[in-house]
Amino acid sequence: MSDPLLRVDDLHKSYGDETVLRGIDFELETGDVEVLSGPSGSGKSTLLRCVNRLTEPDSGTIYLDGERVSGPDTDVNALRRQVGMVFQDFNLFLHLTAAENITLGLRRVKGLGKAEARERAMEHLERVGLANQASSYPAELSGGQKQRVGIARALAMDPKLMLFDEPTSALDPELVGEVTSVMRELADEGMTMLVVTHEMGFAREAASRMMFLDQGKIVERGPPDQLFEHPEQARTAEFLQRITRLHGGESA
Amino acid sequence: MALELTPAAVPLQGGLVDAASRFFLDNPDWGYVWSNRDAMLDATVVTVQLTFVSIVLGFLIGLPAGVAEVYAPAWLRVPVETLGVVIRAVPILVILIYMFYVFSVSSSPFIAATFALGLRSGAYQSQIFRGAIQSVGEGQMEAARSVGMTKLEAISYVIVPQSLRRSIPGFQNEFTIVLKDTSIAIILGVTELLGTAEDLFLQQNRTGTALELILAISLVYFVLTVTTNRGLEFAGDYFGVPTGENA
Repeated sequence: MSDPLLRVDDLHKSYGDETVLRGIDFELETGDVEVLSGPSGSGKSTLLRCVNRLTEPDSGTIYLDGERVSGPDTDVNALRRQVGMVFQDFNLFLHLTAAENITLGLRRVKGLGKAEARERAMEHLERVGLANQASSYPAELSGGQKQRVGIARALAMDPKLMLFDEPTSALDPELVGEVTSVMRELADEGMTMLVVTHEMGFAREAASRMMFLDQGKIVERGPPDQLFEHPEQARTAEFLQRITRLHGGESA
Repeated sequence: MALELTPAAVPLQGGLVDAASRFFLDNPDWGYVWSNRDAMLDATVVTVQLTFVSIVLGFLIGLPAGVAEVYAPAWLRVPVETLGVVIRAVPILVILIYMFYVFSVSSSPFIAATFALGLRSGAYQSQIFRGAIQSVGEGQMEAARSVGMTKLEAISYVIVPQSLRRSIPGFQNEFTIVLKDTSIAIILGVTELLGTAEDLFLQQNRTGTALELILAISLVYFVLTVTTNRGLEFAGDYFGVPTGENA
């Protein structure tokens, strides 16, 4: 049996007295699109950030493609080269154009030449429909455009796994669709994705599985239909009903 | 009346120029200033050189020190911070005396003065850069690290370029201060602007010309200050990029 793409074992994290993650275990197979859902403070973002170690877990083990990537003796930069991340606040490099946002990592991390990096950046901008904004600075882009550049920047590094940390939460409602549709295409193309989002439309249509977190534990996990229609836990049902009312089960 | 005034306007202009030339050139004190213009120009060059070398030295010290104060581990950060606090607590004149007479960093008064001014400027520039670095959002570092850059790469390619742009207003201030403080080099006998002016009114028993000489060098300081400030503003616009709140 081949290794899962991502395996998380007994992950724990606290900030001071506050325990955020209390023993998280799960696996992702290549091509899985998993949506992490749960109330504020349930640990979703922390869990996501532990996977690429922007947040250092207190204990537990993470394997990427069968290789242990947690612990002090592993190379975080090598891990991050294989795991793309998209942030809630976009975090585009403010002093660089859309294209330069993408080429920076390609040149400094992947060591590509100038022309090759540029070409690859343009391909990825095209993919997210922003080839015509290549020389715009982040401040000149709308929120939806910024996030699409953010996605392109992560994708250009050719990751095995993409992490999305509430990618549409900072967007005006009418801009959410352009980002979720890019994400949906990505899911269709077989990218392995771990997505923290309240967009239940995206979860229902694009996710192969959903995970409901509360108080640092996985309360329930399964196909979206099952969680929406026949949740085993009362808490899951209550939360998903509430969040669906707010963020719509219809496609965004 | 009007007919009489119009032709008189031409001689009146000549009268103003005459009056000015009488005041500045025929006046023996201003005449003395003017006749020493070459010495004053040389002194201006020395002042500009002192300023420039000190600012560059201060930048080479201040930028890494500012980065260290934000990102370095304690074993490096604490000594850097402490040294900065000490240097900023000592008067520039005292630092200059240390450099020349105590540590004897150089037998050249000019070099000793640039060490003193450069070191002190470095201590202040470190605070300009520290503040600018801290004003760059944490998300920038996270985004850089998330694509696999090392901390040093993230600092070099993402944090510092943004900080430099943000540090221009503070840097303008620092530039002005260093420019004006080059005048303390007078105590080591460096023939910068103030030293030259003083030589000119003391050496030849022209103390009556002190006012004119000091006014003249004040004007030079003023012009240099305004010019460099405008230049830095222009640099800020030239290298600036559109900025928004939430990008």
